[in-house]
Amino acid sequence: MTETIRARAMGRPLERLDGRDKVVGQAPYAYEQQVTDPLYLHPVQAVIARGRINAIDTADAESLPGVVTVLTHLNAPRLTGDGDGDDRELWVLQSDEVHFRGQFIGVVVAETSEIARHAADLVRVEYERWPHDVELSADRDDLYAPDKVNAGHDTDTDVGDVAAALADAPVVVDHTYRTPMEYNNPMEPHATVAVWDAGGLTMYDSTQGVHVVRQRLAPLFGLDPGHVRVVAPHVGGGFGSKGAPHAHNVLAGLAAQVTGGRPVKLAVTRQQMFSVVGHRTPTIQRIGLGAETDGRLTALVHEVVEHTSRIVEYAEQTAVVSRMMYAAPNRRTRHRLAALDVPVPFWMRAPGEAPGAFALEVAMDELAVACGLDPVELRIRNEPDVDPESGRPFSGRRMSECLREGARRFGWESRDPTPAARLRDGWLEGTGVAASVYPRIMQTGNRAWVRYGPDGRYEVGIGAVDIGTGTWTALTQIAADALEVPVEEVRLRIGDTDLPEAAVAGGSGGLSAWGSAVVGAARAFREKFGRHPSAGDEATGTAPESPAAEDFSMYSFGAQFAHVRVHADTGEIRVPRMLGVFTVGRVVNPRTARSQFVGAMTMGLSMALHEEAVLDPRFGHVVNHDLATYHIATHADVQDVDAIWLDEEDPRSNPMGIRGIGEIGIVGAAAAVANAVHHATGVRVRDLPITPDKLFH
Amino acid sequence: MEFLRPLSWEEALALRAGRPDAVPIQGGTDVMVEINFEVRRPGALLDLNPVRELAEWEMAEGRLRIGAGLPYTRLIEEVGDRVPGLAQAARTVGSPQIRNRGTVGGNLGAASPAGDCHPPLLAAGAQVEVESAAGGVRMIPAEEFYLGVKRTALRDDELIRAVWLRPAEGPQHFSKVGTRNAMVIAVCSFAIALHPAERRVGTGIGSAAPTPLRAAEAEEFLAGELAGEPAWGRSLPDGLAERFGELVGRAAAPIDDVRGTAAYRRHALAVMARRTLTWAWQDRLAGTGRS
Amino acid sequence: MDASIRLRVDGQWRTLDVDTRTTLLDALRERLGVTSPKKGCDHGQCGSCTVLLDGRRAVTCLALAVAHDGAEIVTAEGLADGEDLHPVQRAFLEQDGLQCGYCTPGQVCSAVGMLEEVKAGWPSQVTEDLAGPPELDDEEIRERMSGNLCRCGAYPNIVAAIRQGAR
Repeated sequence: MTETIRARAMGRPLERLDGRDKVVGQAPYAYEQQVTDPLYLHPVQAVIARGRINAIDTADAESLPGVVTVLTHLNAPRLTGDGDGDDRELWVLQSDEVHFRGQFIGVVVAETSEIARHAADLVRVEYERWPHDVELSADRDDLYAPDKVNAGHDTDTDVGDVAAALADAPVVVDHTYRTPMEYNNPMEPHATVAVWDAGGLTMYDSTQGVHVVRQRLAPLFGLDPGHVRVVAPHVGGGFGSKGAPHAHNVLAGLAAQVTGGRPVKLAVTRQQMFSVVGHRTPTIQRIGLGAETDGRLTALVHEVVEHTSRIVEYAEQTAVVSRMMYAAPNRRTRHRLAALDVPVPFWMRAPGEAPGAFALEVAMDELAVACGLDPVELRIRNEPDVDPESGRPFSGRRMSECLREGARRFGWESRDPTPAARLRDGWLEGTGVAASVYPRIMQTGNRAWVRYGPDGRYEVGIGAVDIGTGTWTALTQIAADALEVPVEEVRLRIGDTDLPEAAVAGGSGGLSAWGSAVVGAARAFREKFGRHPSAGDEATGTAPESPAAEDFSMYSFGAQFAHVRVHADTGEIRVPRMLGVFTVGRVVNPRTARSQFVGAMTMGLSMALHEEAVLDPRFGHVVNHDLATYHIATHADVQDVDAIWLDEEDPRSNPMGIRGIGEIGIVGAAAAVANAVHHATGVRVRDLPITPDKLFH
Repeated sequence: MEFLRPLSWEEALALRAGRPDAVPIQGGTDVMVEINFEVRRPGALLDLNPVRELAEWEMAEGRLRIGAGLPYTRLIEEVGDRVPGLAQAARTVGSPQIRNRGTVGGNLGAASPAGDCHPPLLAAGAQVEVESAAGGVRMIPAEEFYLGVKRTALRDDELIRAVWLRPAEGPQHFSKVGTRNAMVIAVCSFAIALHPAERRVGTGIGSAAPTPLRAAEAEEFLAGELAGEPAWGRSLPDGLAERFGELVGRAAAPIDDVRGTAAYRRHALAVMARRTLTWAWQDRLAGTGRS
Repeated sequence: MDASIRLRVDGQWRTLDVDTRTTLLDALRERLGVTSPKKGCDHGQCGSCTVLLDGRRAVTCLALAVAHDGAEIVTAEGLADGEDLHPVQRAFLEQDGLQCGYCTPGQVCSAVGMLEEVKAGWPSQVTEDLAGPPELDDEEIRERMSGNLCRCGAYPNIVAAIRQGAR
């Protein structure tokens, strides 16, 4: 167990320190960084899904007044390295091959954005078209098992004898569940401003991690990491899609090399985002549950088929949730991939857990119906004593308390389980429940410094970022408690590779990683300079060791409840209420934490009812590639969504006692809605999103 | 791209005659999307905003003449009580920000099959006033205006001046199903207008065929069933609204697309037709809709 | 082809040359350095670029700069009086009606414009009684704010902020 810091500022609902700048719009995002005499970029995109560029004619584009140059694979600066592995996504303008529709195959550099956009449209390309394939199905003969799935998990697991257990089980639920291709769609489109001068490359970027951008890009550009600076003081959301640099960063870096030091600005358009900044793979999931008549699971099968791009393998860890969630003695999980001519998939909020828990938690609801059991009680009966996967005890697993507390607040005890039995004013009403889980992830290699300033304030520096999670505020609170001073005496600096090495804001682990390093720096500072430092005193530190991490299984848990109304005639769905109860270790800032829970639950609601990217198999592009047709929930869709949490700290996790909160809210949310829709209508929808047409067959 | 800014209607028509490549722009909410995405790069834009009379409305010959440049929000506020079906549809167009700028004229010019204003214009029997410098004024019935997806009866040298429609003679309703609760492109939509004096019910279907259209068979069915004075003073006969709904569903020629299946569209149209007829009839019997 | 226009932005007259294709949003952001309105879609479907244009809320990505010579524009920056925030902005802070902040200036402008529309008696799609002045309950706020997307999902807090700011 690590020694935790005393909570004085932590636990207080401080208003966002960056809030004032944001409500007036003065907080500068990447594209808004003031640079002198910039040039504007507009990418040229492939309009075939697979093939080769035979000819590319940039003459018309280049003759347009205001166009500085047009870069293609024929004239772009060369990247360094072999372009293998994950770098294949970043290997732009280096060859004539097209691997997916929408791939960047050129970029216009011009005096204004209007000219650049116009010129990009004037570039003429002749292709050699090769057959392409973008259609995922579970019966393809080319499905393969990746070596590992995302976050380093095993591809398959087998415990016990699943076949025998399913054959013997008195109750069996065995169905296929599907989730569609989904897009993160942060409100701020990916953007970067690049300056290449004698000092190297400076990039103002919309990213979840300044250091990860530097680590990935420096070798590609043949630069020492010290000659690449990445700056991101404010980031307009990411939800995973900004967790690594994408092709546009490289495009900007290439263009910046040919402008004689003039800055270049590249804003990825909303439509382009559907091709080049990642997406969540569609999934086809078989869940097989075997149970005794009292609901106790004897077997759990979770077999997943999903896609990856042909150039970069990304294997969503969809089935991992079924390895540790319930105490089934016989368990099997599988991940199989189809490598297709699609854009490169990547992280989207709770990769793995979000789609996986949809399938598992709807199946559990089906099991509750099959056993005639209350779905809350069914889950409590299947609570494991130790982590079924690792055999280690949980550092905290108050799942049952979350279920019970949520049930109490939601008025669950008066619920009649009969489906399609509550018609009021033409609307069918129903309620549903689902469990949530997300692992505690501790990223290593973080450092921070503490400096005592002449103004009597402590400056605390680390290359963390705030993508809307509240880092500016919560990390300041942690720093204040680590230094045992009021928050007013702390001045936080983040969002710059000139600051010490910091992990990406991802895996709900940003604050854990950065906060631990800040605690380490504060302790080093106090050891060196005591309580009465002099101006200019400075110390650097890293995260303290956390030996307990080896002995315990650490996860956050939650229970989600949803109330839906479904119009009996049209099938229109409304969600008057959602409630989440979570257990996540300590909550550093209740105000911003509640926002994150509610926001993630809202994204889960959106996943349940709205989100679906439709790939056109003929051309390989997403048809609904804008916010008019790829729907995300808007104000009118979101009514009473609330989140609460159990009061606790997890000292085994880190010196703050926190486990992370950014993703768990989306896990299980869509299942709770789907289960409520079943309760309301009697119709079991197993493929997302639940649109009105699926309620009429 | 040239930017043409006529200050009067005559000047607009003259500019239009000389520049068939110019794209007329009013609120900009449709045209600008295409320009921002390089979907089209017109040689010129013909900005009709300075033409003040386009943003006005008047009563003439017992009919309402709504200028093509009247923003939705003003239409709702200033004449909504006289054209309730159109006003209901206008309240669902895009977002409030779009409604502050967008116009019925723009909706007609864009001629998207999903445009929200088309069904109530069809149901109300509206006419579209178009004009050219050479050919003068033409009055085109709404149902003859829509020729195909984004194609209209407007000639190259013509501009839309106004839509004409009689103030509601009876109850009117508009209904729309979407996959989001607001700011949504219709999966399908339906409008109904009772015309008691003519013993007739007008209909309009949106988003369920290449063009907005009337449900002619359903209209004829109702006219036949409700022939004669007494029928219009009594409750609707049992099963009539259901049958009407079925005929409306059958009138559509929907497709499966991102927003919904063809089968669901027919189902939803039948539901909306049944509901809106029931509401309209209740309004009529209660004397709440104009009649 | 360029044109010279004048805009009154947050109380100050500014003269600038614009390409006839330049949107009001790009004119503000790229030519005038007024970056409070954000570009989220360039399509009129997210509301991040909302300002008050001649007193009414409008999306600036679908407005041509050259068509707005002489227009009066108020951004979220202009709604604040120096250090003093507009009551709606103050309420956004207190209710935590934001996370990443990118949609926020648009939400704020939209809210302020919306409150004026309600005051003027404009009905919305969910207004039941078209005769009387609309009552600003949560359903009305949600419907009237639906032109502003927030991917962080701050909607319940934004509604709470508007309720508070409207008082």
